[in-house]
Amino acid sequence: MSVKPHELPRPTDAELEILTVLWSLGPSTVRDVHATITRRKPAQYTTVLKTLQIMAEKGLVERDEKQRAHIYSASRPREWTQQQLAGDLLQRAFGGSAKSLMLGALSSQRASRKELSELREFLEEYEKGTP
Amino acid sequence: MSHLAAWIHTPFAQALGWTLVHFVWEGAALAAMLMAGLWLLRPAPARRRYALACTILAAMPLIFAATLAVMWWLQPAPAAPISWTPLTGPPATSAMVLPPAPAPGFTLADILDRLPWLAPFWIVGVLFFYVRGVAGWAAVERLRHRGVCAPVPEWQVRLNELAARLRLARPVVLLESCFADTPVLIGYLRPVVLLPLGCLTGLSAGQVECILLHELAHAGRRDYLVNLLQSVVEGLLFYHPAVWWASHVVRAERENCCDDTVVEIMGDARSYAATLAALEQRRAVAPQAALAATGGNLMKRIRRLTMEPRRAQSSVAPAASAGLLLAIFAAGLAAVPAKLPMVRRPRIAMPAAGVALDAAPSQSAAANAQDNQPAMAAPYRKWLTEDVAYIITDSERAAFGQLETDVERENFIEQFWKLRDPTPDTVENEFKEEHYRRIAYANGHFASAIPGWKTDRGRIYITYGPPDEIDDHSLGGNYQRPPDEGGGVTSTYPFQQWRYRYIEGIGANVIVEFVDSTGSGEFHMTMDPSEKDALLARRPQAAAVAGGAFAAAKPRIAAADPQHEVPAIPAPYRRWLNEDVAYIVTNEERSAFKNLKTDGERETFIEQFWQRRDPTPGTARNEFKEEHYRRIAYTNLHFTDPAGLPGWKTDLGRIYIMYGPPDAVTQTGARSISWTYRFIEGIGNDVILVFEDSQGNGEVRLTMDPGAPHAGPPK
Repeated sequence: MSVKPHELPRPTDAELEILTVLWSLGPSTVRDVHATITRRKPAQYTTVLKTLQIMAEKGLVERDEKQRAHIYSASRPREWTQQQLAGDLLQRAFGGSAKSLMLGALSSQRASRKELSELREFLEEYEKGTP
Repeated sequence: MSHLAAWIHTPFAQALGWTLVHFVWEGAALAAMLMAGLWLLRPAPARRRYALACTILAAMPLIFAATLAVMWWLQPAPAAPISWTPLTGPPATSAMVLPPAPAPGFTLADILDRLPWLAPFWIVGVLFFYVRGVAGWAAVERLRHRGVCAPVPEWQVRLNELAARLRLARPVVLLESCFADTPVLIGYLRPVVLLPLGCLTGLSAGQVECILLHELAHAGRRDYLVNLLQSVVEGLLFYHPAVWWASHVVRAERENCCDDTVVEIMGDARSYAATLAALEQRRAVAPQAALAATGGNLMKRIRRLTMEPRRAQSSVAPAASAGLLLAIFAAGLAAVPAKLPMVRRPRIAMPAAGVALDAAPSQSAAANAQDNQPAMAAPYRKWLTEDVAYIITDSERAAFGQLETDVERENFIEQFWKLRDPTPDTVENEFKEEHYRRIAYANGHFASAIPGWKTDRGRIYITYGPPDEIDDHSLGGNYQRPPDEGGGVTSTYPFQQWRYRYIEGIGANVIVEFVDSTGSGEFHMTMDPSEKDALLARRPQAAAVAGGAFAAAKPRIAAADPQHEVPAIPAPYRRWLNEDVAYIVTNEERSAFKNLKTDGERETFIEQFWQRRDPTPGTARNEFKEEHYRRIAYTNLHFTDPAGLPGWKTDLGRIYIMYGPPDAVTQTGARSISWTYRFIEGIGNDVILVFEDSQGNGEVRLTMDPGAPHAGPPK
């Protein structure tokens, strides 16, 4: 099933959850996906299976049918989907304000190129100093 | 737009405008204090610097609120209830802002006048930041559920162990999120740590623990809540860079505090710094990453973490810093008294009814003003003591007397009329036109030995406009005395009775009687109904009239007191006339009712009065009467004001009884509402009436009518 990237539909929230699991675990069986989802909230195995089948039809996931238990994997990397979802009006309009409300180990602002090279220097120096 | 213009002139808007301006220097002073404090606390732990920054940031809205309260308190009581048409009552008082001695040509008054316009812009800005903040918060909340998955259970267990070490009260949930591109903590009551996908597998276990500890430290310090409050302050005082800077300091020091916690527990500052650096690099290599033009502050944090402990400061630095702080305090203290007189406006009391009608004090005040300012050029003196003698407030008179140049006086006069313009957006000033028309009319009709505008009738006419009814006995002679004056026929001096259905600040159904007891053509105002009686000698006052002693009589008003008006009518009927139907009885009906002799006649009259108004005369019910009494009951229930004035006597009550419930009620300001009527017979379409509780004491008054300038007062 080869679908061009721009033809991929936007995942629904339920589909996005399954994609997140697949990105986190890598290629997985329906049982693995179901087990991960139920760690957070109750979910029916059949619901997860049905959703994965629909996603395969849409091209959001790829299905490896070589083994008895089918292996599913996300057809696109996380970053690609993330970018697609960032087109969300809400996300775009209020991303800045949302970021200022989150408390992160890193500032919401990315490092500049200059700062990155400084960081690299620091890391190299650090690794040299560590036995 | 006209609602906005009306709101702008409310005391609240004025106070707000001043507060916004004052906060510019207040915020700057607080920021300077923070700067000095941070410099003093350079060697101190991040916790103390954070506490200082939080205190200063929290002080900002407090100072703002305190300033608003002070500005509010310094305001004059009413905001010029610009009469809603030129025909209604006196323009009352107005808040003229005039600095004692502005430089010639420098229209400081203009600037001060426009100051309240800052307020709406500020409100729009605050709304923008708050709407944006709430939307951002909603977006953050969605991250709890959207695109997340639970990590392998071992990590949740490890997180719980670390949380126990920090003695966290609330359980923290660990999730992987496809949206987070850096580890974050969200939520206060149900905190969640979101890790970017791949973070758990891409970093070593020790590194992940460092990151988790940092986020847990945020949870333990209630940073999420503080951060929300911070956003509230930022939005409220968004226009001041000092606020953003202080907020930025709080954020930076907060991260330092958490870094310190991590190092205290993990022990190795350098490896923690390396973790942060590695994390940042991972983020930077993400394919979609567009490198930010302005960097974060990570390198600063790393340097701080890996730096040798600083040596103690030399003793000079703290001394210098303390000196700087003292200087700022002193400057602040000096600035306060220097600024206050600029904005202190005299408290202007609403003229009491009796005072308003009494020309004597005003004229003496005018005389004083002349004494004090012999240099005032004749045209300005004439303007003050003739043109606007009856409508200028005492404080305006005083302010005008203090002006030194003609330019200032011209500006003042312009402002004076502008403040009273019912339609400030148009070129015409209906108030001014009407005022000069009244003066011309008074001079044309009431002049005797003295100019018309100076006579009692002229004064009343200029102040309150044409009466609703004139009972004219200018020729004197035989007069059918009404029963309440003793009945029978008598011979009188020439007299006139002017009836005003309503005068703002005085009341409903005001009757003013003027008598020409000297035969000079000058009618003076009197309160004694017997004064006009030329033949009546048995009353001592009448005797005094005959003796001409009344030439010096102080003008008084035959006020709305119904007992003076119709004492001979038994109380229930008097009450019916002056309360029940006060607003709807016609002048003819009123005179006819007063002339009735027996209670039987009065009963018949009342019955017929209602019958004439019954929309369905064939039925037993009189819907008009029912509705009328319902309205009265409604007004007494809802509009009775705190001072004890019954609801039906209030402005709201009067309008409600006359015109029924409005088609729309709009809150136009903190203390004002407007009533819209789609149509009022005899007035027009879309009549908007604005009521204002200008003193904030629950006494709601009809102030102006920006929407329908042509709508006259109820005639």
